[in-house]
Amino acid sequence: MEYVSPLDTRVREPEEPSTRTGSISGQRVWLLDIAKNRSAEFLDRIEVLLQERGAEVRRTGKPTFSKPAPEAVIEEIALHGDLAVEALAD
Amino acid sequence: MTASATLSQLPLQPVGDGPRDVLATLPAVLLFAHADCPTSLLTLRRLAGRGDGVVLVAEEEPAEAARLARRTRLDVPVFAQPPPYEASRTLGVEAVPTALRVNAQGEVEERVVGWDREAYERMLGVELPADAPSWKPACASRSVYDWSGGEGLDELEDMFERGWTDGLPVVPPTPERIEAMLGGRAPSRAVGHVPPALGEATLERVAACAVLAGCRPEYFPVVLAAVEAALEPAFNLNGQAVTTQPAGQVIVVNGPIRDALGLNSEIGALGPGARPNLTIGRALRLVVALTGGGYPGRLDRATLGHPGKVSCCIAENEEASPWEPLHVQRGLPAGSSAVTLVAADAPLSISDHRSQTPEQLATTLGWAAATTWSPYWWPLEAYSLFVVCPEHAELFRAHGWEKARVREAMYAAVHRPAGELRGQGETTARVLGAQSDEEIPRWDDPARILLVVAGGPAGRFSAVLGPCLGMDAAVVTKEVEWST
Repeated sequence: MEYVSPLDTRVREPEEPSTRTGSISGQRVWLLDIAKNRSAEFLDRIEVLLQERGAEVRRTGKPTFSKPAPEAVIEEIALHGDLAVEALAD
Repeated sequence: MTASATLSQLPLQPVGDGPRDVLATLPAVLLFAHADCPTSLLTLRRLAGRGDGVVLVAEEEPAEAARLARRTRLDVPVFAQPPPYEASRTLGVEAVPTALRVNAQGEVEERVVGWDREAYERMLGVELPADAPSWKPACASRSVYDWSGGEGLDELEDMFERGWTDGLPVVPPTPERIEAMLGGRAPSRAVGHVPPALGEATLERVAACAVLAGCRPEYFPVVLAAVEAALEPAFNLNGQAVTTQPAGQVIVVNGPIRDALGLNSEIGALGPGARPNLTIGRALRLVVALTGGGYPGRLDRATLGHPGKVSCCIAENEEASPWEPLHVQRGLPAGSSAVTLVAADAPLSISDHRSQTPEQLATTLGWAAATTWSPYWWPLEAYSLFVVCPEHAELFRAHGWEKARVREAMYAAVHRPAGELRGQGETTARVLGAQSDEEIPRWDDPARILLVVAGGPAGRFSAVLGPCLGMDAAVVTKEVEWST
């Protein structure tokens, strides 16, 4: 029997993950605060740990955890970063 | 065809070391049974050790058929008939156990359905244990409710196999039904991308969801308006679709289209019974779950969810309302038809049969929202949808209270000192930063209180649908494009 599908069955081409660096020393690491309760507190600790390991840490954030990050934020991370940590909290 | 030829052609599979051909057992009592039927189990156990002349025909796969004989200690020849249970269908076995006394020519001479001790004693010529019960009704044969062999019915199972469901049976979206649902609209027209997986909602896919939900074609304009409203970025369907919160999408329908479609705004307005309400709400939810990929347990991570996430479509009882309808309050012209989308939790009933003044009633309604979301999270920075029953609405009408006045009175009545909201659990930054005696209102703004009227003429039961917090989810109203 033939049916009309409710699904969008288009398949997105898989994308290769970026090359693993093997080390965070000297890397530009973005910390993305998703604006959950106590996200900043959690990221403060992560920042210290990353800096101890030689990372150059940069901070940015989403206006709200409930929506995808604005394009500008994603672009900034992509253009000016080597690694990113998106951090949840609560 | 002779009776024995009919029997020989039935796809019965011999089990164990017994006869390979059922004809070799004749004359015999063919006992049809299956393992999920308590009456079958009782019958087989009663015949254990006294089953000379009995042949078990189990509506099971061979391994299960052997197990059934073993667990009931019935030591007789066993044949299995796996789906689609052709032997049962051919011999008219619609219930089990059914015992067919079959002669050497393969003719059925007697039929006993269910457990009937006297009938079995007569048929087998033995005395059976006198234990109660002496009679027990039969269960349905698997051939009756297993749809794999039934023409047409297996379509419903197919829908489950495909995952095109919310857990309830759906109407298969055949091209003919889609065409009727579309009513001449362009199937490939894009409505938008549905979060969270951003599947593209073409009209055809929305129509597929409407068909699956059980909508009639005339409901489609309302479904379409609801989908368009839900896809407005301000509604933040993305957040709602993936959250661990229970909130779902509530549709409020206003205007003449309510009557045109037979939407129920009266008795049981939030409850079961009305096809338009249930299927329109369900269609929107299927668009989110299927086209948008927001299926519970996958991208939809709701800890509990709530029953309104299957379907929640409320028609406002404008005729019983002292106020302007919700869509008019929100800027659309009177006489237009519209849907208003609200992100909301499950309804909480509010019983008030004693208030004599609008002030008392407004206070009761408002305080009912005190524990929605959390008893300590004040103020709520999201919408609470109050469904006011006609008798409650009448009290406000009798005193000339406009909607705004009711909202203000509810807002003013419900507040608690910050000190009482601290130290019990999670609370807001505002509470944490306030003096202990500072009164914190239930909502950050009276406009967070949405009022619609619905329900039957008798009974003073209103309801509040709690908020969807942290989503910045706006209330969105969309006119329904339709013609009478």
